[in-house]
Amino acid sequence: MKKKHYFTCIVCPVGCQIELVEEEGRIVEVIGGECKLGEEYARKEFTNPERVLTTTVQVEGGALPVLPVRTEKPISKKLIKSCMKKLAEVIVKAPIKCGEVVYANILDTGVNIIASRDLPAKEDKLLK
Amino acid sequence: MIGGGPAGLAAALKAWDEGIRDIYLIERDMELGGILPQCIHDGFGAIIFKESLTGPEYAQRYIDMLAKTEVKIKLNTMVLDITPEKKVTAVNSEDGILEIDAKAIILAMGCRERTRFQIMIPGDRPAGIFTAGTAQRFVNIEGYLPGKKIVIVGSGDVGLIMARRFILEGAKVEGVYEIMPYPGGLNRNVVQCLQDYDIPLHLSHTVVEIKGKKRVEGATVAEVDEHMKPIKGTERFVSCDTIILAIGLIPENELSKRSGIQMDDTRGGPTVNEWMETSIPGVFACGNVVHVHDLVDYVTESAETAGISAARYIKRELERREKPIKIELGRNVRYAVPQLISEKRLKGKIRFYLRVRNPERKVEIKALARQDKVFVKKFRIVRPSEMIRLEIPTENLSKAEEYCQLRFEVEGEQT
Amino acid sequence: MKNLSDEEIVQKLKTKISQDPELSKLQLKISCEDGTVCLEGEAKKWEQVVALGHFAAGVAGVHGVVNKVWPKTLPRPEKERKIKEKAPWDGMKVDVVIVGGGIVGAAIARELSRFNLKVVLVEKEADVAWGQSKGNAGWVHGLAGVDEDPKSMKAKLCVRGNAMYDKLAQELDFPFKRIGLLAIVAEEELLPLLDMVKELAKGHGVPVEMIRDREEIFRREPRITEKAVAALFFPTYGSTSPYLATIALMENAMMNGLGLLLDTEVIDVRIKNGQINGVITDRGNIFTKFLVNAAGLYADEIAEMAGAAEFTIHPRRGEMLIFDSEYSSLYSHNLAPATLKTDPYTKGGGIAISIDGNSIWGPNAEEIPYKEDTSVTKEGMKIVWEKFSPLVPSIPKDAIIAAFSGTRAATYTEDFHIAPSREVKGLINVAGIQSPGVAAAPAIAEMVLEILQKEGLRLKEKPDFNPRRKAPPSFRLLSDKEREELIARNPKYGHVICRCEHVTEGEVVEAIRRGATTVDGIKFRTRAGMGRCQGGFCGPRVVMILSRELKISPTKVTKRGPDSNLLIGETKSLLTEA
Repeated sequence: MKKKHYFTCIVCPVGCQIELVEEEGRIVEVIGGECKLGEEYARKEFTNPERVLTTTVQVEGGALPVLPVRTEKPISKKLIKSCMKKLAEVIVKAPIKCGEVVYANILDTGVNIIASRDLPAKEDKLLK
Repeated sequence: MIGGGPAGLAAALKAWDEGIRDIYLIERDMELGGILPQCIHDGFGAIIFKESLTGPEYAQRYIDMLAKTEVKIKLNTMVLDITPEKKVTAVNSEDGILEIDAKAIILAMGCRERTRFQIMIPGDRPAGIFTAGTAQRFVNIEGYLPGKKIVIVGSGDVGLIMARRFILEGAKVEGVYEIMPYPGGLNRNVVQCLQDYDIPLHLSHTVVEIKGKKRVEGATVAEVDEHMKPIKGTERFVSCDTIILAIGLIPENELSKRSGIQMDDTRGGPTVNEWMETSIPGVFACGNVVHVHDLVDYVTESAETAGISAARYIKRELERREKPIKIELGRNVRYAVPQLISEKRLKGKIRFYLRVRNPERKVEIKALARQDKVFVKKFRIVRPSEMIRLEIPTENLSKAEEYCQLRFEVEGEQT
Repeated sequence: MKNLSDEEIVQKLKTKISQDPELSKLQLKISCEDGTVCLEGEAKKWEQVVALGHFAAGVAGVHGVVNKVWPKTLPRPEKERKIKEKAPWDGMKVDVVIVGGGIVGAAIARELSRFNLKVVLVEKEADVAWGQSKGNAGWVHGLAGVDEDPKSMKAKLCVRGNAMYDKLAQELDFPFKRIGLLAIVAEEELLPLLDMVKELAKGHGVPVEMIRDREEIFRREPRITEKAVAALFFPTYGSTSPYLATIALMENAMMNGLGLLLDTEVIDVRIKNGQINGVITDRGNIFTKFLVNAAGLYADEIAEMAGAAEFTIHPRRGEMLIFDSEYSSLYSHNLAPATLKTDPYTKGGGIAISIDGNSIWGPNAEEIPYKEDTSVTKEGMKIVWEKFSPLVPSIPKDAIIAAFSGTRAATYTEDFHIAPSREVKGLINVAGIQSPGVAAAPAIAEMVLEILQKEGLRLKEKPDFNPRRKAPPSFRLLSDKEREELIARNPKYGHVICRCEHVTEGEVVEAIRRGATTVDGIKFRTRAGMGRCQGGFCGPRVVMILSRELKISPTKVTKRGPDSNLLIGETKSLLTEA
């Protein structure tokens, strides 16, 4: 049975509405984009949509109570919610350097969660 | 430098690079970065670094670069006044009152958020009403959640970003209500913040009343007509405990006004020339204080221009035309920056930033000197929420120099 | 004139009601005892309830109206009672209890603090002045109204109180400016009435200057509307910050011994042998023989608790618009349009020049059934804008930064009701204090003092009474040199946390030290949050400072008392909950 899925391409500001037709999970056709990138985008979004997750984790002894973190690379969109749950339990100890791994290989994706900034310990000045 | 956000940081770095050694960077917050430390999402730096960085990461790059210089940084310091003679008065706990006589000043104060009564939302005044940026600060810097059942008014980028942030932290976002028939933020955010999480976006809707004795209890929303007036009978009560207002940003120019510089009505910021210089020679402005940008990369770009120009000004290298070329706004142009071209000996390219009033497709943006078309660029689509960047080679501007005038026009089909 | 008997009053009122096509259809029970009319029954809408009350008050000889009529279709107001811990002062004995921490209660407290008395003031909100005293534009009226009876209590007390403001503001260090009111006449047809208006004003014992020379009007107010044809200048009008005045009075009273109990609500009144015996609050009992009822919107409920209902308060809401301080220097006087009145019960409002930075326009007037309703409406804001904007063409609509409303505690006689209760000894009712309550407050306090003395309260002067109170420093009002000295003494005064109003951390900490426990408390005491960004920048900083100083979690910080918390939990709390 053929099914239609719609995606708004985000590659450029035009925002083409792409229609992707699939049958039993197999892509039959992709139409609507004004350029090739739209088709590529829609295919990826249908087969394996990925996102970068950005959030904060709790900090112990830091100049700020929370630390912004990010997935080093995009991870499967389906894992975002469980990723957030996992990270809710994480407490990092200050000082932390930007890019430092605060949680390795989240949910077995091979992707690390890294710090988005330097965060000094509480006593140090927050200057740098 | 007044302001240590992305604009102030980039400007300070360039001024240093150009050889200026006596530089003060004054920042009112406890750390550098401006608004970036709380913008924990990614999408920054795609143009400058060809990477998708988070706000804090982007800020960290510049903070690290600045640390290698000897720019004097004053944190937790509020500038109270600037005089037309370029005297800056500031205050902090260690130094008390600081009075600095500057050869050049760069205004980089960013912007503030539009508030509830600026759009006159009637109703009660309970706890639980926040502008999106303030809510963002609570969540991402102080580490606290403002609510668990959220209604977002306005579909500006900050609102869309916060919609996703709230969902990720386990809150419920009931919906985003936008008065225009199109979203106020970037498409990418509509897709990745709302569609990804099934948050309904109600276009052509507004909040007509907020209810709540002590804390927000709900809001009455309604559909609006083509004049943006609520349509009777479409009212619906939405129960919630938090109202997030994402209804626009306003350049923060209270200090600018005190110094007496000329302001431009079309965007709430100072009138500037291509050096980012204001109507007072030696006073420059860059970043969101001039006009609200959607990409921080362009903030950095304009700030670097300001920094270089300030340095050149101090070194007396700026040569002015007798009469500046005035930029005029034609069809469907809401604003253009700069508004003046002052350079006597034009060379290379001049960069312009524009915003359109209405979205249009199959667009041609033209620069004209009277009737002569001196520059054209085609766009598939233009939207008010997406700033347009044009680089015009100065060879094209001889007619504009002759007439002291350059007009931008947008021609396209309505969407 | 001979006073009508109770039966005659009832008859006259019944006749009046029967002549009204709508009201005559209602099922009502009308009685009168000792000049106090009591109305009971059902109405169809709120306007009818108010009309009935006014009808009753209009009958000669009526001393007060208790109006229990309620519209069938409207739900009754809910009374939420919080369970609170018993306070350590439970059971204390005092000489006087004042109920209500508005400007009137505070003024009375200050007067009483001159004497050797144990006085306690009980206020149900988390801070003082949170009823009408902050819900107004700070007008210190020169007179109660040209069409007001000069012999009415509010007319007399207004003029008396107004005259006391210079000394009071100086002693207590709160902002006050005798700025004058310029009433602008823009309609030629009204010119013949001006002489009459001048005479009426004189009847109140108040100076008024008639200006028929247009050049003179523009000299005094260069940016006033071109349509001005004449003006009336009332030089005694003033402008103050009504909540700062309340705080100043209260602090001075406390310096001199007053006990202030915030977040404490009177839930019942104890009577023994027809005499006040004490109050029961939601935190404990206080025993006393004298109860001063200055409870504003709830004065009728307090009187009823004492079994001595003599009046009913019908709330009349007034909405106001606040303007960006950028425009405050354009005009130098309070302004009002001089027009024929359409509403007999309100003076019509005007433009109050800011004492603090922001001009406030309004109020309008709307009878509403619920005392707690301080919402602002689309219509109300529109009415205020449209009424006053023609006077001041230089001020654009986008200069509006905020809107609020205040609700007048009006009795049906529409006059102040300041008298010892006729039913219970020791109960002094200071009720129905609507506009010009701020102007009248100091004079009301004097009058209440006399009443208390007459009712048997022994007044022995304190030799060490200190009439002076110093306000905490306001960074934005100081010179650079004063700022330097202040910062040297306390570096927290060098840390500006409110960018729009230049409020420093030092001021926030001092406000907390002086009793503020909420974000609104900080706002009213320091102005942090009153600027054009409306707390966008300072909001989180104020919350964190309150959390630190009060040693409570930021999630426990409230906007204005219990149940108005700003934050619901730490960032991960919802994810770790499930």
